[in-house]
Amino acid sequence: MAKGAGNALRFVVGLIVAAIMMFPIYTALMGGFKAQGQIFSNPFGLPVPFSLEAYTNILVETTNFWQLFLNSVMVVALVLAIVICFSMSAAFAIARIKFRGNKLLFNFFIMGLLFPLTVAILPLYLQLRGLGLTGTRLGVVLAEAAFGFPLSIFIFVGFFRDIPRDLQDACEIDGGTLFTFFVKVIVPLSLPAISTVAILNFIASWNQFLLPLLVLDSDTKYTIPLGVMQFQGQYTTGWNFIMAFITLSMLPIGIFYYSAQRYVVKGLTAGAIKG
Amino acid sequence: MIGSANLRRSYQIRKALLVVALVAPALVLFTAFVVVPVIQAAYYSFFDWNGLGPLVDFQGFHNFARAFGHDVFRTAIWNNVKIVALSLLLQLPTAFLFSLLIGRKKFFGSLLFRSFYFLPYVLAEIVVGIVWRFIYNPQRGLPTFFVQLFTGTQDQIGVLGDVNLAFWAIFAVIYWKYIGLHMIIYIAGLQGVPQELEDAAAIDGASKARIVFSVIIPSMWSAIVMSVFLCVIGSFNVFDVVWAMGQGGPVHSTETLVTYLYNFGFRRFAFGYGSAVAIVIFLICVVFNYFYQRFVVSSDIT
Repeated sequence: MAKGAGNALRFVVGLIVAAIMMFPIYTALMGGFKAQGQIFSNPFGLPVPFSLEAYTNILVETTNFWQLFLNSVMVVALVLAIVICFSMSAAFAIARIKFRGNKLLFNFFIMGLLFPLTVAILPLYLQLRGLGLTGTRLGVVLAEAAFGFPLSIFIFVGFFRDIPRDLQDACEIDGGTLFTFFVKVIVPLSLPAISTVAILNFIASWNQFLLPLLVLDSDTKYTIPLGVMQFQGQYTTGWNFIMAFITLSMLPIGIFYYSAQRYVVKGLTAGAIKG
Repeated sequence: MIGSANLRRSYQIRKALLVVALVAPALVLFTAFVVVPVIQAAYYSFFDWNGLGPLVDFQGFHNFARAFGHDVFRTAIWNNVKIVALSLLLQLPTAFLFSLLIGRKKFFGSLLFRSFYFLPYVLAEIVVGIVWRFIYNPQRGLPTFFVQLFTGTQDQIGVLGDVNLAFWAIFAVIYWKYIGLHMIIYIAGLQGVPQELEDAAAIDGASKARIVFSVIIPSMWSAIVMSVFLCVIGSFNVFDVVWAMGQGGPVHSTETLVTYLYNFGFRRFAFGYGSAVAIVIFLICVVFNYFYQRFVVSSDIT
């Protein structure tokens, strides 16, 4: 009996907190479906009447939403490819091959966890400029990938270290090289770690604002966060349009998050659970 | 015998080449775009430089002195300190309480609720900032609604335009955005609390509060350690959400170290000065990390 009451209380509290947490998202979601006048006469209620005016405008008629979307997709795809490939290969060497300086190399990468992007951003900008990469999406990609390595290598090394030595020996006995061991054994086993690394880097890259803000100068190359900022600056009173734009920008990450929730939580709490 | 020595040497060489091939791409990118810029930041901070041409105007520690002498900079640092303190005192304990309440027993809707709590963290800060700007709208926003409700007048309140209120308005957003992260970390940590210890303490007549402090918190210490670390480092580096809600205004009252770096360093082509600010941020993080590792992380409570 008490258990039922306890659970009921939990449910109510949980619901209230969930409502508070979701309120801004709900506001953005509903706002996109309102007509221009309504967004101010009825800012937080349900859209009455329901209007697709804002969405059709953004998706079909005027703005460069699709270009922003494409830019973001390109950047994120490249970042993921680079980070996953090269952090896996580096982590494989660190975790499975004995060589001098192995530990030093690992600590060198881990040190990167202490360097926030904000500290490096000004010289990074100059570095990219020196390499002719300012104003390019490639510059954004390389910089974001570089900052993704510390955590990604950390996750992969932890994962690879746990793979039993016997598997590696068995592979060698069967006549395989380290390369075949890597491709045939490690990669398939690492799917959980790859998912975690992919998601963490996806979120970081998709939402990245400061770096593209500094590096990109032409709005045809802008990623979605920059586009949101620009759109909001242009349409200072068309809040229904802004809300629709924002909802669209939240959709990809929202969908991604809900389908891959487990790995997001796992990746972020990797250090939180003892043992 | 000679043959086997050669064989071993060629094996060593092949192994070395393999290691280089595996490690080089990540190492090159990481060194070029992370390590080198941080070192360069340290170097540039001693100069007065607009980013073009050679570095000639050596300033010694003058940039640092200028920064600490600038009242806006002091406001920015103080804002960051306030964010850290408020987060540690308000955000983390609330997250902890909620995780105790909601994270242990599975009840109807608990998993769905958890996904809602974490969702704000996953969204882009800039997006979050803009939505909240709408919520804070002076004419029709939520604060105005509550003011009119409680005072019965038609008064409006523009929190983001008010020099005294803007900081709190922005902190509320930071609180909202990151509390889910800490909740999730604590919920994960709670999974590691041994039920037997709790039961034993309860049998011994310990109060709920006692159980929390003596059994639960020590058992999830690594979760708490990680949460505090992320909170402090994150608080000193906050940018996007503050930027979206006023770019450090009104009248610089919501400047943080990074918005200051952007406004007074990048925007004014004062790369030496901006680098000095960046180094200040860096030193704060490094010093914190050092003391944290030494006194907190290494203390194994259980």
